[in-house]
Amino acid sequence: MTNRSVTPIRLCDLEIGRPARFHDATIDAEARDLLRALGLTAFSIVRLCKRGDPCIVQVRSTRIGLSRSLAGAIFVIPQPSGAV
Amino acid sequence: MATSLAVAAPVVTRTLRVALIGNPNTGKTTLFNRLCGARAKTSNFPGTTTSMRLGRFRRAGLSDWDIVDLPGLYGLYFEGPEARIVRDVLHGDHAEPAPDVLVVISDATNLSRNLILVGELLAGPLPVVMALNMTDLAARRGLTISTAALSERLGVPVIPLVASKGEGIGPLVEAIDRVTGQRQPRRPLPSGLEALTAWADEVVASAGGSTLPAAPDTLTERLDLVLTHPVAGTLVFLLVMGGLFWTLFAFAALPMQLIEYTFAQLGRLVSMFLPPGPVASLVSDGVIGGIAGTLVFLPQICLLFFLISLLEDTGYLARAAFVNDRFFRRFGLPGHAFVPLLTAHACALPGIMSSRLIPSRRDRLVTIMVTPFISCSARLPVYVLLTTMLFASRPALAGFAFAACYVLGAGAAFGSAALFGRTVMRGKPRPMVLELPTYKRPSLRTALLTAKDQAFAFLRTAGTVIVAICVVMWWLSAYPRVATVPAAAALRAEASQPGQPAERVQALTSEADRVQAKAQQAGSLAGHLGRGIEPVFRPLGYDWQLSVGLLTSFLAREVFVSTMSVLAGGGGGRHIDAKDEGVMVRIRQMSRDNGSPVFTPATSASALVFFVLAMQCLPTLAVTRRETGALKYAALQLAYMSTVAWVSAFIVFQSLRALGVS
Repeated sequence: MTNRSVTPIRLCDLEIGRPARFHDATIDAEARDLLRALGLTAFSIVRLCKRGDPCIVQVRSTRIGLSRSLAGAIFVIPQPSGAV
Repeated sequence: MATSLAVAAPVVTRTLRVALIGNPNTGKTTLFNRLCGARAKTSNFPGTTTSMRLGRFRRAGLSDWDIVDLPGLYGLYFEGPEARIVRDVLHGDHAEPAPDVLVVISDATNLSRNLILVGELLAGPLPVVMALNMTDLAARRGLTISTAALSERLGVPVIPLVASKGEGIGPLVEAIDRVTGQRQPRRPLPSGLEALTAWADEVVASAGGSTLPAAPDTLTERLDLVLTHPVAGTLVFLLVMGGLFWTLFAFAALPMQLIEYTFAQLGRLVSMFLPPGPVASLVSDGVIGGIAGTLVFLPQICLLFFLISLLEDTGYLARAAFVNDRFFRRFGLPGHAFVPLLTAHACALPGIMSSRLIPSRRDRLVTIMVTPFISCSARLPVYVLLTTMLFASRPALAGFAFAACYVLGAGAAFGSAALFGRTVMRGKPRPMVLELPTYKRPSLRTALLTAKDQAFAFLRTAGTVIVAICVVMWWLSAYPRVATVPAAAALRAEASQPGQPAERVQALTSEADRVQAKAQQAGSLAGHLGRGIEPVFRPLGYDWQLSVGLLTSFLAREVFVSTMSVLAGGGGGRHIDAKDEGVMVRIRQMSRDNGSPVFTPATSASALVFFVLAMQCLPTLAVTRRETGALKYAALQLAYMSTVAWVSAFIVFQSLRALGVS
């Protein structure tokens, strides 16, 4: 694994379609709870499907419309494309 | 947490109560409609604004079941109003009785996430049946789940289901029968979301499934490329909305005319059979007129909710909220506010009620405060009357003015939202977190039942109030009785002269009726009230008659046309159609006490602006108070909208007068 793959990056900066593992989020408790309920829990795999504001991310089988401000405060660790 | 869910063991001594529970967008309502059909009623959970549907499942030769459709929720741990209510219901701490059996509906295409709620429910003692819905979609996406393995792993019946087609209902009913009265064995289940998530992934794997689909949902991905695109998505949104409104006006027009015609005939029939006097007037003008004034909006409300339900079922509404989020956010509104504002085009009442889907209280409050600015169908007769009055011989301009009313209303809503966000409701809308459900074929049955439910909700909320208002208005305008005025007596005396042609007798009698009706209005309580409030509206160009029209229409806007018709001396039926040339001519020819016309172009434009912006609807205020839980918001809404309307109408009237348009 390269150094880049273990450094958390912002979810909004993730390459489209590339899987990443959820690392941390510096967001308010309400948004965090809702995202957890939608499946964004520790170590879950997430993909960015569409950039923009709002953007679309996929957690497991759930597609979520997400404000860019939130996507910029969620940190993920990119995974190799075929890893999951 | 799941492990804290301890309730008393179920003892079935009454009609079995089966609760449907599940994540949002799992087909819970579709299953409910399959089981109960039209035998359902929608109400709120006592003391809350969260709606609950209760229906009866009839079983031939066997005892019936009560089916409760609980609010959709992602987990019991989640701190939202829905989760709180469900927790209370399951604990038996709610006014609603606790269920005897839980049917947890899970989306087979998203099993892992749905299992979190299943895990929480399995920790409680209530018997559980798992209904694995949308198994057809899961199969198409290469997701193979062994329901037998899943059932063995969970220790509860797991029934594959395609609720939209009614497949699997029989086995589901049998499974409910089997578990009824059983005490669920306690299972060592993990507590905490992370642990439950790991457990859910492990359960899915043990049932031969995967947390990720074998084949991507290409239909959803392809459609989202277009429907959520900033440009293409906006164009599609405008097309969809254009089509929706065209359908609404094109298809609702005929039933609306039929309702108006039927009640007009009914009013005439009553007039024929009842002797002239207060009773006949009360029945035909007060009661029948009031019922007609309520029912006339039903076709638009039913059609709008039918179409919204279809759009919601397809998954498009979430995309519309997504596309609108950026635009709405500029004005301090969340993308979620799109649905209430759309619904308000039929009626503000269901519009305000649908704001419940907005998660943040601040966002919900702002949406409720501005929703009544949206032009509802009750404003239509007033718009028709005043735009035709303004541009009688120029229909194109009248049409333009009509459309401008809608734009002005929407502009006021967005502008006010921005103002509220910077003043009394400070803050920014909550950043979007919105599940985008899989695109699906909509259910016609669900759409029809939704339309029916909303129609009854409207009738319950608005019908009683509007009918009561009409009866009160009839009383205010009918009493005290004014003695026959000399002018009317002279006309009748002339009509009774022998040798008069029949046409002349009829014309003289009609004129006598008109003169007497006008005198009655002037001398009635409504007339006195109009004169009392006339100074408030004089700067807007209104005389006492127009002031009476505004006063009566404060209770319900649509009363304006009939009130003006009564004041114009044309009789007091509520079934008066603004498109009726006779009504239009009579109102246009109304004169003030000094003989000048009531409706000058400046007055008409001022009244039009006033009606676009004013809070002229008592039922809306009642719903605002109920939905916000505080009288102060209803009072603020009334004060704010009335001020905006008065100031705007003042500016329009005075500007036009200064420009020489009077």
